[in-house]
Amino acid sequence: MGSAWTVIKEILRGSAITARHFFVNMTFHTLRLFGLRTARRGAVTVQYPEEAKPLGPRHRSLHRLRPRPDGRPSCVACMLCVTVCPSECLTVEAAEDPDPEVQKVPARFVVDLNRCCFCGLCVEACPVDAIRMDTGEIRLAALDRKALEVRLDKP
Amino acid sequence: MSAPKTVRLTIDGRAVEADAGTNVLRAAEKAGIAIPHFCFHPGLDVEGSCRMCLVEIEGLPKLELACSTVVREGLAVRTTTERVRRARRDVLEFLLAEHPLDCPICDKAGECRLQDYYDLHGRHPGRMLEPRESRAKKVPIGRGLILDRERCVLCTRCVRFLRQVTGTGELGVFERALRSEIGIFDGTPVDNRYAGNLVDICPVGAITSEDFRFRTRAWFLTRRPSICPHCSRGCAVSVESRAGYPLAEGERRVYRIAARENPAVNGFWMCDLGREGRRDIEAGRLSVPLRQGRPDPGLSWTEAAGEAAAAIGRIPAGERGEKTAVVLNGRLTCEELARARASFVDGLGCRNIFFADSRPGRADGPLLTAERTPNLRGAVAAGFSPRLPDLGELAAARVLLVFGSRLAEHHGGPELARALSGGPRTFLFAAHAGPLDGLAEMAVPVAVPAEKSGTYINIDGLAQAFDRSLEPAPGGPAEGAVLEALARGLGLDRGGGDGR
Repeated sequence: MGSAWTVIKEILRGSAITARHFFVNMTFHTLRLFGLRTARRGAVTVQYPEEAKPLGPRHRSLHRLRPRPDGRPSCVACMLCVTVCPSECLTVEAAEDPDPEVQKVPARFVVDLNRCCFCGLCVEACPVDAIRMDTGEIRLAALDRKALEVRLDKP
Repeated sequence: MSAPKTVRLTIDGRAVEADAGTNVLRAAEKAGIAIPHFCFHPGLDVEGSCRMCLVEIEGLPKLELACSTVVREGLAVRTTTERVRRARRDVLEFLLAEHPLDCPICDKAGECRLQDYYDLHGRHPGRMLEPRESRAKKVPIGRGLILDRERCVLCTRCVRFLRQVTGTGELGVFERALRSEIGIFDGTPVDNRYAGNLVDICPVGAITSEDFRFRTRAWFLTRRPSICPHCSRGCAVSVESRAGYPLAEGERRVYRIAARENPAVNGFWMCDLGREGRRDIEAGRLSVPLRQGRPDPGLSWTEAAGEAAAAIGRIPAGERGEKTAVVLNGRLTCEELARARASFVDGLGCRNIFFADSRPGRADGPLLTAERTPNLRGAVAAGFSPRLPDLGELAAARVLLVFGSRLAEHHGGPELARALSGGPRTFLFAAHAGPLDGLAEMAVPVAVPAEKSGTYINIDGLAQAFDRSLEPAPGGPAEGAVLEALARGLGLDRGGGDGR
């Protein structure tokens, strides 16, 4: 008998919280409509994924390699990102470039999103500002692990 | 021989004793005081061109070079005064004024003296507003060496090495003053078997090796000491490898083999044949055990050794010595050879013990010997008289144990096949793949010298112990373990071995 009352009490308490949020938000939306109390806004539901909130300027999303003017990645395969990566998710293989001013380019640049913790240390370590995490791509799900090994040196 | 005369001097207030005739830099190094330097190398003549080792000597008005000042009784040297520190910083600033910002793509990064000294003694902001001088960045100078003139600090270590150690003198300093540059004479590239040392002695990234170029970064490498097994000199080497991240899981790669200092054998140098030994560890290895020439991953070396021992056991007791043939090789360590002798000669009374090794090459320069086997002296010391088998002797046996893949270098594949078919039951324990694999009843991979520990006796009779410098692949035992298992299978194990 006592336990049934506990359940009912909690249901009522939950409904009260929901109702409180509804009326508080409704009040602020209504006041705003008449130009009153505009400093505080009522909560707004964003219909994700049909619409998305803009990401913050420092938000870290899927990595990309910034291109050179000719379109090739500006990465020089120095492996500082590989060195600093705490979750050991980067694989870089270097290759020779015929241009003596460039010399070293990545033959393969793979980030394993299965392991990546999106800490952004690779971006900080890069001496040529080649790797960035500003693509805004946050929908990183796949049906198999292999598909989460993303190759960055190929568009 | 009388003991060398010593002199007493003080360096930074510390009383130091040094052999007469050495320079202040070496005396300080011996006392644990590091003086930065680029051009000085203990194996080469003093040049004094980099000006990095300036120190203050009491009673002298100017700073002196630690590398060209010979120690004297009562000399008082100071290496940490403000004057010395400022001089070091200024010398570095001059060297770095023209140095390209190549560290991200430079193979030397991580083990570069310019980087280390800037961190310790420089830390000055760049003041150059003018664009840096642009020079040739990729000049092939022969034998897989690449010269980058922008990175060069003109210490002339390379020039002196080729003049004083190999005597070939292919490199020189051309032009003068600001235009000075290292280069080869027209049409005569560096061509000697010691050229790989130039990469080791270059204090910056000016001379790099094509073999190592862009393959990894220096800080990923694990360096472990070993002895070079490619000739009977026994040079001290360091095997530089990497296992695990950033390589794939379970992968191991040897990136290079570099010289290690050993004044009793090789000084500071080693030959290119030893450096190419990297391929001997990496390529052509027997990777999977074979049964009748077909890969059989389930076959373990213990099973093969047990089967071999059982095969010998089935020969009637009186004929065992006669009907068993063993082919050993000069890459086995002294410990393994002693074990082989105890089992086969003392235990079985076997007289058919042969040695099959790489063919001798040409002796070249101060180190490389004609004999391309590290431990033939050890075989003699163990009481063997190494000789090659002829095919009749092998075919007459009922059980043939072969260690190493070199037998096929001396007898062609078809001849070996003819001799061994229908003849002896053959068991092969080899590190490398070869034509013998298909002929043996069982072929099992074993370790290369870098993957085991033991003792080698070099051409001058010097016994050198070495430790394992690489983890062997799983299932690839040292021959010592195989010999131990054989002895146990034959009931000859008298204990006492540690089976390394």
